[in-house]
Amino acid sequence: MTEEKSLKDILKKIKFSDKAQVMKQLVDQSIQVKVRMGRIRHKIVVMSGKGGVGKSTTTANLALAFARAGHKVGVLDVDLNGPCIPKMLGVSGSFEILPEGAVPPVGPYGIKVASMDFFLTEKNTPVQWKGPMELSPIWLGMFEMNVIREFLADILWGELDYLIADLPPGASADKPPVIAGFLPELDGAIVVSTPSEVAKVVVRKSIVYARDIGIKVLGLVENMSGAICPTCHTPVPMFSDGCEDIATDLNIPLLAKIPFDAQIAQSSDRGILLPLSHPTTKLFDGMVTQIESLL
Amino acid sequence: MKFVCMKCESFMEFQKVENPAEQSLGVSFACLTCGAKVAMVTNPGETAMVQALGVKIGGRDTVATPMELIRENLKESDGVRSPVVTATVQQEMLKAEMAKMAAGGEGGVPAASGCPFSSMVAKMQGGTATASASVNAVPMTWTQEAKERIEKVPSFMRPMIEMGIENYARKNGITTISPEVMDASKNDMGEVVWSKEAESRLDNIPSFIRPMARKEIERIAKEKGLTEITDALMEETKSKFIGMGY
Repeated sequence: MTEEKSLKDILKKIKFSDKAQVMKQLVDQSIQVKVRMGRIRHKIVVMSGKGGVGKSTTTANLALAFARAGHKVGVLDVDLNGPCIPKMLGVSGSFEILPEGAVPPVGPYGIKVASMDFFLTEKNTPVQWKGPMELSPIWLGMFEMNVIREFLADILWGELDYLIADLPPGASADKPPVIAGFLPELDGAIVVSTPSEVAKVVVRKSIVYARDIGIKVLGLVENMSGAICPTCHTPVPMFSDGCEDIATDLNIPLLAKIPFDAQIAQSSDRGILLPLSHPTTKLFDGMVTQIESLL
Repeated sequence: MKFVCMKCESFMEFQKVENPAEQSLGVSFACLTCGAKVAMVTNPGETAMVQALGVKIGGRDTVATPMELIRENLKESDGVRSPVVTATVQQEMLKAEMAKMAAGGEGGVPAASGCPFSSMVAKMQGGTATASASVNAVPMTWTQEAKERIEKVPSFMRPMIEMGIENYARKNGITTISPEVMDASKNDMGEVVWSKEAESRLDNIPSFIRPMARKEIERIAKEKGLTEITDALMEETKSKFIGMGY
């Protein structure tokens, strides 16, 4: 009786040919991302382990600051289910699909913007996908990963100096590795936190996590760093401490402390730019100088 | 996922993919040696997972259009807007469908005219049925060598490159696309010239990404204001393609 060979032994000696062409298509997809991203000098993500700390506000204002400094900028809104970058930048419109790619809407200072928001016309309309939602744990994560891939690969970003990606809120552990996987040349991450102890606990973990998956943390932004009195403009602390402890403990630069200012909130809500003379505008301009020196 | 015929100790070959039931894929494999067959049937969750990859099992006979995954899978509702798809992209999609129907197994290269969709195309472009005749006025024939060459281009770049070659051919009164015409079209577009050493160095890159690498190196050359790609430039751009045999 012939001895049955083990699968392991059989696999060692046989050769696979990809007649189903799945691998070829997956490789083509990766190449397409690589080619498109190859024309972008610097890729940065803005992230935080905590939701509601001001990632999108930071992303939008950072993009504006880079653009004001004369750079060609693109913003990728990776928050697929809660897209808000277009609103903050006052950008509306739709993608135009050409054979060579999708033309994105353009915002102030020529900033190119990609967001799921451009597929939605009503403010109450959520992003919903076809597919068996009762089985979404099986497929939804992979699907969203490929949506991000299409944003990276199919959009006619052109030649940019900076592509800034706004990651989704909370401890969405799947998104940073997805981005890192698609963008091995990612320049780094800007992490946003508020001075709240609760936020800082979570943000610390997200910084360590980012480093563990190979994302360089460029710096920390302390948002809502106290309030500004609308009458006398005196800074009023809202928390007992700032984020200096995180910066020191984890050895990352504290890039800026952005105060909670009603004008900042209103400008984001209305998609109107802050005046160039506004102190926060200058803070972001200063951040650009720091980030450029770090890259 | 692969299937192994334990009796013949070889991989089973992909045969076909079909939809045996709603939200189900049936992917069939066969052992070419002993004839054993197996079909893998997916449940709705598994089907959605495969679709989430954005690939077509068995290969693509229509080119993926930009943002295809998002556009085809976003649930339609009053508050959802589809992006504007240009007539050119629509034409490409139709051309691919026509090639599938009329060419009878010749993949990848659009067939000549005799277009059953000409009136539809004309309407999409805001014209009439007769106006559509001008859209495909000069039918192009591709030689076997030219077809084999264009097949090597990654699918997402193929429509653009085919269009450029056919436009060049029409402009010069050419109706048959050969490898020489393809080369000439590159020169016509102000393309750079490759030295022999640079060409042979390019041959070291795996064939399926070679056209992409060629385009990227040419882009870098143009950026530097160069008209010829030399061995020195290849050395300089090496880091972009390390690990690919370059």
